[in-house]
Amino acid sequence: MAGIDIMNEGRLRRRTQLSAIAWLRWRLFLNALRTTQGKLEFLSRLLVSIAFTILGLGGSFAMGLLAFFCLSQGKPQWLTLFFWIIFFFWQIFPVMATAFGNNADSSDLLRFPLSYGSYFLVRLAYGAFDPASVIGSLWSFGIVVGVSFRKPALFPWTLLVFLAFDAFNLLFMQMIFAWVERWLAQRRTREIMGILFVLLVLSFQLIGPLTGRYGKRARPKVNKVVEVLAPVQGMLPPGLAADAIVQGIYPQWPVALSSFALLFAFAALAGCGLHVRLLAQYRGENLNESAAASPLPRDRQLRLGWSLPGFATPVAAVFEKEVRYLLRSGPMLITLIMPIFALLVFRLGAMNSGRRSVSFLTRAPDLAFPLAAAYMLLMLTNLVYNTFGGDAGGIQFFYASPVSFRDIVLAKNLTHVSILVVELIVAWIAVAFLYSHPALDITVATLAGLLFAVPLNFAVGNVLSLYSPKRLDYSKFGGQRASQTTALVGLLLQLVVVGMGVSVFSIARYFGNSWIATLLLLVLAGVSLCVYRMIFKRMDRLALQRRETLVAALCRA
Amino acid sequence: MDAAPTISTQSLTRRFGELIAVDGIDLRVAPGQFFGFLGPNGAGKSTTIKMLTGLLAPSAGRIEILGLDLTTHAVDVKRQIGVVPEGMALFGRLTGSEFLNFAGRMYGLDRQTAAQRTAELLDFVELSDQPKKLVTDYSHGMQKKLAMAAAVIHGPKVLFLDEPFEGVDAIAAGTLKSMLQGMIAHGATIFLTSHVLEIVERLCSHVAIIHRGRLVAQGSLEELRAGVEAQTPAADGDGATPALGEKMTLEQIFLRTVGGSRRTEQELSWLG
Repeated sequence: MAGIDIMNEGRLRRRTQLSAIAWLRWRLFLNALRTTQGKLEFLSRLLVSIAFTILGLGGSFAMGLLAFFCLSQGKPQWLTLFFWIIFFFWQIFPVMATAFGNNADSSDLLRFPLSYGSYFLVRLAYGAFDPASVIGSLWSFGIVVGVSFRKPALFPWTLLVFLAFDAFNLLFMQMIFAWVERWLAQRRTREIMGILFVLLVLSFQLIGPLTGRYGKRARPKVNKVVEVLAPVQGMLPPGLAADAIVQGIYPQWPVALSSFALLFAFAALAGCGLHVRLLAQYRGENLNESAAASPLPRDRQLRLGWSLPGFATPVAAVFEKEVRYLLRSGPMLITLIMPIFALLVFRLGAMNSGRRSVSFLTRAPDLAFPLAAAYMLLMLTNLVYNTFGGDAGGIQFFYASPVSFRDIVLAKNLTHVSILVVELIVAWIAVAFLYSHPALDITVATLAGLLFAVPLNFAVGNVLSLYSPKRLDYSKFGGQRASQTTALVGLLLQLVVVGMGVSVFSIARYFGNSWIATLLLLVLAGVSLCVYRMIFKRMDRLALQRRETLVAALCRA
Repeated sequence: MDAAPTISTQSLTRRFGELIAVDGIDLRVAPGQFFGFLGPNGAGKSTTIKMLTGLLAPSAGRIEILGLDLTTHAVDVKRQIGVVPEGMALFGRLTGSEFLNFAGRMYGLDRQTAAQRTAELLDFVELSDQPKKLVTDYSHGMQKKLAMAAAVIHGPKVLFLDEPFEGVDAIAAGTLKSMLQGMIAHGATIFLTSHVLEIVERLCSHVAIIHRGRLVAQGSLEELRAGVEAQTPAADGDGATPALGEKMTLEQIFLRTVGGSRRTEQELSWLG
């Protein structure tokens, strides 16, 4: 390449690499469509994308309208609220919706001679196409349009602020993700981080009820805190973005420019934070977590495996394995305790002093136990609908072992039923303490309802686990959900189950006797058990038919 | 081969769409043989071993292990064989001890025996010093040793190993080799695939070579050597010809059989 100077060569190489990466993403997408499962996934993603598009465009229109309205009313300072909404959405939505993203690992690209600049750009490009970024950009652009309609002369300035605000959000989101990625790279820190994160999310749930309960007594103090916080928010990026536009309207250009400069500085700071992390990745940091060997205890006792009376040894072995997996999975455990936590949140919310309108559950405490039971079953479907997801490469062991898949599935279903039973007992006690003792007829009707819903969910879950498997990492938070196909089928099944449940309870209510509901649910439970049995009998054949798909999906690194 | 074969296949075929990965192979492995199954990348080794162990369904043909048809007696066959597949088939979120215990019980051992053998195997493969460590945190070599231990916990009559020495250090490889030789001494049959031809040459009494899905050679090392030497000699300097007076190595037999030769001198002139 004698005729090309080094600068041009570098630029050419970067262009070639970036287009190669874009091509790679495109090919990955196309190749995923080769299988039926891939096509179904695409269809599901398409539906989700339509929802996102509506959310993005609808939100953009609403933001534009609201911005126009605020300016028309002479209250441009309300723009602050919109910028804060966009900011929170942009930063929090990706965490909540990791299942919808592609989660491409750009660090895989480091084996290629990618320049640091290209690597940084690729990371930003991945972030820019994240649904949160696209929706956030559309919303903030809506504000630009709304403001510009009212004050056309401000369009260039508003556009500039929009660009700086979006750049900040993009860089900040990527920075947070890059640092979280670093902490999540090691299993132990990943689990600690995950538990802390969920505790944080759970503690957010308590803010409302607690401020409702103690808010009145502490109102002067709260007001003082709000007074202090108001100017502070003005010094943070969403407040600065709003202020830059507001000051441009008045117009007080020195203040507007200083707000813009500060916003720009925040963006640069986020960029620096991202740069530090990406540079470490680029230089090939080592996050090895192998521990030193511990001294060998001399007199070791043999640790016997569990036994399950009435069940074969392999069933007990798989049952033990499943329980151990769950006990070691902070994320899964937290998911399972959520229903109990929800009961507490609703109860605290209802205890707000001085409020007449108490929560739904306080007005109808009889429904607390059935609702908690339904919520528990719903949470459990995460495990039931993708029952081999956590086994990963271990699925090969199941196929190579002399154990029938019926036994394996039985052990897994048994584990899930055991969890549900334990949860139900805890929920019953919680309801009794927090609300009132669940009445006998309601308790029995709930159990009858579960007898109907559980086998049906397990039957469908067992089939979905074979037909739409997705590898899961029990130690990770976010993205650890079943496939989109499974999610859609599961949603349809829940609609059917809930629809039938509502119909049954409506009939019972019409006749004024809740035991009728129990009777009808028991009849439905009989049908549901037959369906479960019918599918269960076919598990070995289905597992053999699906063995290649299952092994391919779960053993993929 | 006089004795009834431990492993035999008839016209074993596997198609993936248009591609024929394994094309009607007829394997015969006698009891007590240490059998090496060789082939270039993509030749069909892993596909064959997956079919032999029930991890993949054949498109056509028949497999018999220990005289039992694999399709109709899958569970009976699986009870008597041990497998270390390509992906090792481990459960990452168990400790090594829990995994071995689990494996033992899945193969029908009672709790006491499973626990006893778990302890013995962990000591043998030198993994007992980190009892609380999860399998997912093991190094690749440690995982290989654990997978091997799980494959033998029930004392299988036949052991299938897909690339057992890949990524394993010399010390661990030594441990594994001595375990395998011990099994052979006790009458077990071992079927392994490996790219490390020196190891195969040292361990295996019999070898088969698969190339583009077809079985191109099968027999003892001496039989293969004689067969290859009877063919047209290869040109000097192609890596497949032994020095004068020396026996042909397995690598040379392999290169001659699959038609591989070192061609870098003529091609890829832009390298280096």
